[in-house]
Amino acid sequence: MKADQVLTAHHDVLRGLLRELAETTDDQVADRRRLRDRLLRELEVHTQIEDELFYPAVRDVSPLLSVAHAEHRQIDEQLATVMRTPVDDPEFVTEVRMLSSTLHHHTFEEEQRMFPQAHALGEERLEELGRQLQGRQEELGRSGAMRLIVRLKRMTLKLV
Amino acid sequence: MSVRSRLEGVLGAVERWDLLDAPGYQVEHGVALTYLLAGRYARPLQDLLHGVWLGHPLHPALVTVPVGAWTAALVLDGLDATGRGGPGTGPAARAVVGVGVAGAVASAATGFTDWQHAHDGARRVGLVHAGLNSAALALYGWSFADRGRGRAVRARVTAATGLALTLASSWLGGALSYRHGLGTDHADRSPEPRRFTPVLGQADLVEGEPVGVDVAGVPVVLVARDGEVHAVGGTCPHQGAPLGEGWLHRGELVCPWHGSRFDLATGEPAQGPSTAPLPCFETRVSGGQVEVRRRAHWRSPTATTTAEEASR
Repeated sequence: MKADQVLTAHHDVLRGLLRELAETTDDQVADRRRLRDRLLRELEVHTQIEDELFYPAVRDVSPLLSVAHAEHRQIDEQLATVMRTPVDDPEFVTEVRMLSSTLHHHTFEEEQRMFPQAHALGEERLEELGRQLQGRQEELGRSGAMRLIVRLKRMTLKLV
Repeated sequence: MSVRSRLEGVLGAVERWDLLDAPGYQVEHGVALTYLLAGRYARPLQDLLHGVWLGHPLHPALVTVPVGAWTAALVLDGLDATGRGGPGTGPAARAVVGVGVAGAVASAATGFTDWQHAHDGARRVGLVHAGLNSAALALYGWSFADRGRGRAVRARVTAATGLALTLASSWLGGALSYRHGLGTDHADRSPEPRRFTPVLGQADLVEGEPVGVDVAGVPVVLVARDGEVHAVGGTCPHQGAPLGEGWLHRGELVCPWHGSRFDLATGEPAQGPSTAPLPCFETRVSGGQVEVRRRAHWRSPTATTTAEEASR
């Protein structure tokens, strides 16, 4: 798979999780907690593979890196708000919808604008980058250190 | 070669110096982490430091404190060194150095808060600006301590070096404002359209979903909400983001880039980093078409349209 296809597939996972989360009701506390924690993990992996591999690779062909970076910041901040909101709070879904809007805009920006620009790298390079992204994504998914970071982040965000 | 073209060369070199990006992102991650740890207080604190309450960035106003205090210290040090100052001059110089250090710490907090959202060349220039200022702050901290220990000569030398660094750094700070437009108002303040102009079929508006349109070259965002059609400027005053790509949260329009939030009725920023309000437009529906007209800046959002104005 090419880099843009790998990332779009992962965007689909993130969008799917947010859709599921937004459809839960206030009494589905366990489901909310499970989906939210999965979302936190997937977002952490996604941000990291983009920051580490994809953005440095496209810096010469896309002028949108700063914008994409700003959008990651906004997603991160809203994720913190979602983590702070108790899962049985009536405001929970409102904050999840805000996170969903933020993420949808970011994925739109990448899929509609940045990925077409990335094609200037050539098909071969995109295939190679895709393999790297996939490898790193699987590695981070298995990584104990990543799991520890996510757990620490979850605990800290709930405390503050 | 003129002074200006030399300075221009320095500025260009800093703007293109992409080795600064890696440390720049590290510093930004540090700022982000600090605010994440501030939890629910992060937003009000950032709005305070951006100057959302003030209407323009707080940083340039606050930096006058260290620059003024440290300039006064230079004068007092000069008087003291030449024996023309009288007995209170040394302690007075130490006091103003201290005031400057406190002001510089506060200025740094506002500066990092504004800088975290800077893009590309401005981000690099801002990082060098911050680095030089931090070095100056360290020198003045050292100078302050030396004054307490009676190391008067070394204290004067470090202070004078600190002032030179501060002035060099101020030049870069000026470039950030006047060249990169960081902190300036990026909204389109055109007085057009002066007359009601049709922009979109009412049927094309979906409740609660912002739509970006172009009215005689002026970007406008339309939002249908609770039976009303709101229209505000389509360019974020903060850094020019397309607000037509934004969304609503708790009834406020959210900027897709840095998350500023705007009141739809008044255009006021409900949340930073934007410190300036959005331009507002009056709307009416005529023959199934939404029409907009620029609201005069002096007219309050609730003012009624006079018969004479409505007839235009």
